Amino acid sequence: MNQAPIISDNGSGFSKIGFAGNSDPSFVFPTAIATREVATGASTVRGATPASRGSNLASKRGIEDLDFHIGDEAMANSKTYGIHYPIRHGMIENWDHMERYWEQSIFKYLRAEPEDHYFLLTEPPLNAPENREQTAEIFFESFNVPGLYIAVQAVLALAASWTSNQATDRTLTGTVVDSGDGVTHVIPCAEGYVIGSAIKHIPIAGRDITAFVQTLLRERGETVNIPPEDQLKVAQKIKESYSYVCQDIVKEFRKYDADPYKYFQRYDGEHSVTGRKYSIDVGFERFLAPEIFFNPEINSSDFLTPLPIVVDDVIQASPIDVRRGLYKNIVLSGGSTMFKDFGRRLQQDLKIVVDRRIQNSEAAAGTNLKSTGVDVNVISHKRQRYAVWYGGSLLASLPDFYTSCHTKAQYDEIGPSICRRYQIFGSVN
Amino acid sequence: MSNALRPYLAAVRSTLTAAMTLENFASQVVERHNKPEVEARASREVLLTPLVISRNENERVLIEPSVNSIRLSISIKQADEIEKILCHKFTRFMTMRAESFIILRRKPVPGYDISFLITNFHSESMLKHKLVDFIIQFMEEVDKEISEMKLSLNSRARIVAESYLIQSYEACLHDLPTNPPTHTMSKRPEICWLDGGVHIVENRWSRVFLSTPVKSG
Amino acid sequence: MILLESHSTIILNTLTEKFTNPSTIDIQFVDYDGVRFHLHTPDRKKTEILLSMSIRCWGELVRYGALDVIGREYGPYVAPTVEPGYDVSLAFDTNNVPQGEDQVAFIKSVALLKRNALAAPFERAFAEQKALESTPAPTDGSPRAQGQLMQIHYRDEEAIYVRASHDRVTVVFSTIFKEETDRIFGKVFLQEFVDARKLASLQTAPQVLYSNRDPPLEIRHLPGLKNTEDVGYVTFVLFPRHFSALTAEETISRIQLFRDYLHYHIKCSKAYMHSRLRHRVTEFLKILNRAKAENLGEKERKTVTGRTFSAR
Repeated sequence: MNQAPIISDNGSGFSKIGFAGNSDPSFVFPTAIATREVATGASTVRGATPASRGSNLASKRGIEDLDFHIGDEAMANSKTYGIHYPIRHGMIENWDHMERYWEQSIFKYLRAEPEDHYFLLTEPPLNAPENREQTAEIFFESFNVPGLYIAVQAVLALAASWTSNQATDRTLTGTVVDSGDGVTHVIPCAEGYVIGSAIKHIPIAGRDITAFVQTLLRERGETVNIPPEDQLKVAQKIKESYSYVCQDIVKEFRKYDADPYKYFQRYDGEHSVTGRKYSIDVGFERFLAPEIFFNPEINSSDFLTPLPIVVDDVIQASPIDVRRGLYKNIVLSGGSTMFKDFGRRLQQDLKIVVDRRIQNSEAAAGTNLKSTGVDVNVISHKRQRYAVWYGGSLLASLPDFYTSCHTKAQYDEIGPSICRRYQIFGSVN
Repeated sequence: MSNALRPYLAAVRSTLTAAMTLENFASQVVERHNKPEVEARASREVLLTPLVISRNENERVLIEPSVNSIRLSISIKQADEIEKILCHKFTRFMTMRAESFIILRRKPVPGYDISFLITNFHSESMLKHKLVDFIIQFMEEVDKEISEMKLSLNSRARIVAESYLIQSYEACLHDLPTNPPTHTMSKRPEICWLDGGVHIVENRWSRVFLSTPVKSG
Repeated sequence: MILLESHSTIILNTLTEKFTNPSTIDIQFVDYDGVRFHLHTPDRKKTEILLSMSIRCWGELVRYGALDVIGREYGPYVAPTVEPGYDVSLAFDTNNVPQGEDQVAFIKSVALLKRNALAAPFERAFAEQKALESTPAPTDGSPRAQGQLMQIHYRDEEAIYVRASHDRVTVVFSTIFKEETDRIFGKVFLQEFVDARKLASLQTAPQVLYSNRDPPLEIRHLPGLKNTEDVGYVTFVLFPRHFSALTAEETISRIQLFRDYLHYHIKCSKAYMHSRLRHRVTEFLKILNRAKAENLGEKERKTVTGRTFSAR
C-alpha cells in the first residue's frame, strides 16, 4: 500500500505530527503524557521511573499502562493524573513514556496503521546515536513500520526554505536560526550535515519575549486593567498579533512620539472567567518586544550578545570553505522568528558586521585589491512556524525518500545500528 | 526458588567460582596481542575442558574456561512458542545494550541463548564473587521474568478480548423484552481502573438481565 | 484508551473549525485500512468545502449498497461529481450547514464517513437474515437458503466475508501477521477472544471462532485463499440479538474495527514488554555495577601543599 509517510516532529514543548504532502501538521499539541504514576521530579532522570515503580511491577497483571492521555487531553486531565514531559532539551529522556506517546498519537489521532506508513522523525543536532538506535528499536519492533528516516531538525528547516521565492536553489548548506519557546539555536549546516562544533545557543526565545512584554506593560501601568490571571495570555497575544521588528530603534521612538495616535493601538480583551470587558493601550512594546534579540541589554544583563553577532560568530567558527554558503543562506525557523521584518533586520545588522570586517581586512592588507564582498541573505518564508515539520513533509514527498529510508528488512538483517548511518537526499548539489 | 533449581544454580556457582582463576596471558602466536584465549583458540594448551551443567534438555549452562578468559553460555527454558519469542526478545534486548553490560557477549554461542565472556581484565577490575552473583541472579530472574511476561500477556489478551466483547453484551442489554427500570439502564457495565489491574465490574443488574429470557437469542 | 474510536479526529477538528471560521484548506490524511481522505476548498472559495474519500474496496461496497447508505446518511451533501482519484465526495457550503446543536451532530456523522461506507455489507446481511427468517424452512429436509456471500477486500491481503443465514450472520476475517512476534502474540489474543465467551458475563456476546491456516467451511470454496502459517481466520457468529434495531449500529462500528483493535493491542503489548525489559535491564545493570571494584586502591594522596599525585 503506498500511503503518505507520517511526519512526527517531537519537540520538548510541542509535537507536530501529520502526513507528508500537507503544508501544515494535522496535530500540534504538547509533548506531555498524563499517567497514573506519580509525577516526581526525579522521573526525568533516565532509568529512575522504572525503578520507582519497581515494587509493584510484579503485581502488574492488567493493562493499566493503557490508562493515559497525551497532548491537550493530558493537560486537561492534570488533576487526576501525573503529567510527564518525556522530552527534555530536545532529547528523549523517558523511553517508556515516549513509546506510549507515539502509540497513542498514531492510533488515536492519526488513525493510521503504522505497518502501512513510512515514518520521518526528527532529532536535535548532536543527538547521541544510541538515542537513534532506541528510536529505531521502538519503531521497528513495536510498531513494525516498513521504513524509518530520522532527520536532523536544522536540515529540515533548510529544506523548508526552498519554498521561499528568495531561495535560489535547493541547497542544504546554510545557517539555521531556530527560535522556539525555550531557547534559540544557531546551527550551521554544510551539505546536509550539521557542523556540530560551531553551534551556539541563545537563552532568549518566545517565553522571554512574553515576559518582557509583561514587564513593559506593568511599567506603564497598563496591567491594572488586566485581570491577573489573564496577564500572561494578553502579553502573548500582544507579542503574536501586534509586534514587529523595527529597522532603527531611535527613529521608531521618534516616530511614536511625533504621532502617538497613529502608532499606539488598543487591545480589547474579555475576562476569561467573569466576562468583564477591558481595554489597554499597546505602545512601544510593539517594536521593543522582538528588539531583545538585537539589543539584549534592554531586557536583562545575563546575556548581552545580539543575535546578528552570534550568527556571525557561528559562521566564523565554521570551516572557511563553507562560510560563503552559510552567509548566503540564513534560514529562519520556529514561532519566535515570525515577527514582521525580523529577517530584514537580521540581514541588515549582519551585513554591517560583515562589511566592516572586510573593510578592516582590506585596510590591513594595505594593497589596492578590493574584495568582491560577501552575500548576506536571510530567507523568510510563510512556513516558518512549523518549518521543521514542513521541511519533513516536503522531503518525504520526494521519490528519493523511500530509497533513503532504513527499511524493516535492513533492520531485521543488521539491527538498530543501521540508524547510525544518516543519508541526506533531495538536495540538488 | 524451587527445590530443583537450587542444586542446579549451586553447581553453576561453584563451577564458575572454580573456573574463575584467570591471569594475564599474552598471545603465544601473535606478538603483542592479548586476546581472550577461549575466543582466539590459537593455542590448545591454554584451553581447559569445557563443561556442561544441565538441568534438563532445555536448561543448561556451558562453561568454557581458559587461561585468561571464561565463556559462559546459557540456554534458557522455552516451553512453547510464546516463551521462545519472549526469550528471544529478552536476549536481543540485552545484547543490544552489551556496551553497558561489559561482560555480555554480543552474540551467543551456537545452541545457546545468551553468552557471557569474562576476561582476566574483568576479574581484575571487578569483584569475582559479585560477578558470580550477577550470573546466578541473572539465571534466576530470567526464567521468572519470562514466565511473568507470558502471564501478563495472557491476562492482557483476556482483558482486551473481554472489553471488546463486553460492548456487545452491553448492546444486548438494550434488547431485553421487558423494559428494565430506567435507572438500571444508565448503569453500564464498566471497566474501572483499580490498582491491581483492570477489572470488569460486573453490572449489579446483570443477574437480573441474564435470567430474563432474551427475545430472539 | 482500550477501544478505538470510530470517527476521524482530523475531520472532526477541521470541520468544527472551518464551519465557524471559513478559510481555504487543502489537507490529505488517512484512516485505518488504507482509506485516504482529501479535505479541501476547490476553486479557492472559502465557503465550499469538499471532502473526498478513497477506499480500497469501494467497488465491492457499491455492489453491497454503500451508495444507499451514504445517500441516507448525507443526502444533499453528496457531491454529484466525484473528485478524480477518489471514490466518494461530500460537498459542504459553510453558509448552508446545520447550526448549533445540529452542527455538532452533523460533523460527528461526517467524521463517521468511513464507518458508514463500510457498514453497507453488514446492513445488507442483517436485512437478508430478517428476510430469510420469515421464509419457512423447506419441508423436504433440504438445507435452508442462505444469503449471498459478500467479500470485502479491505486490505491488500486481508478480507472480510459476510454471509447471512436464517438464524445468524457469519462474519469471517482473514488476518495476516507480517512478523513472527505479531503472529504469536496475535494467536494468544485470538485464543482469548474464543475463550472469553465462557465467562458468565459474556454469555450473550457473539461467538468467536479462530482457526490458523485452514479457512472455515463458510469460505473454503473460494478461490485464492492462502493457507500458510501466518494466516488466521476469525469467525464471528452474530445472532439476531446483536443486530436488532438498537444494537446494530454499535455492532457494525465495533466489528469493522476488529482488525485494527487487535493490531493496536498487539503493539501495545509489545510496548509494555519493552518497558518491562527496560526496567529489568536497568536492574541487571545495577547488580553488575555492584561487582565493580570501586576505590579498591588507596585513597588519593596529597602533598602538604595540597597537590595530588598518582603512582603510575
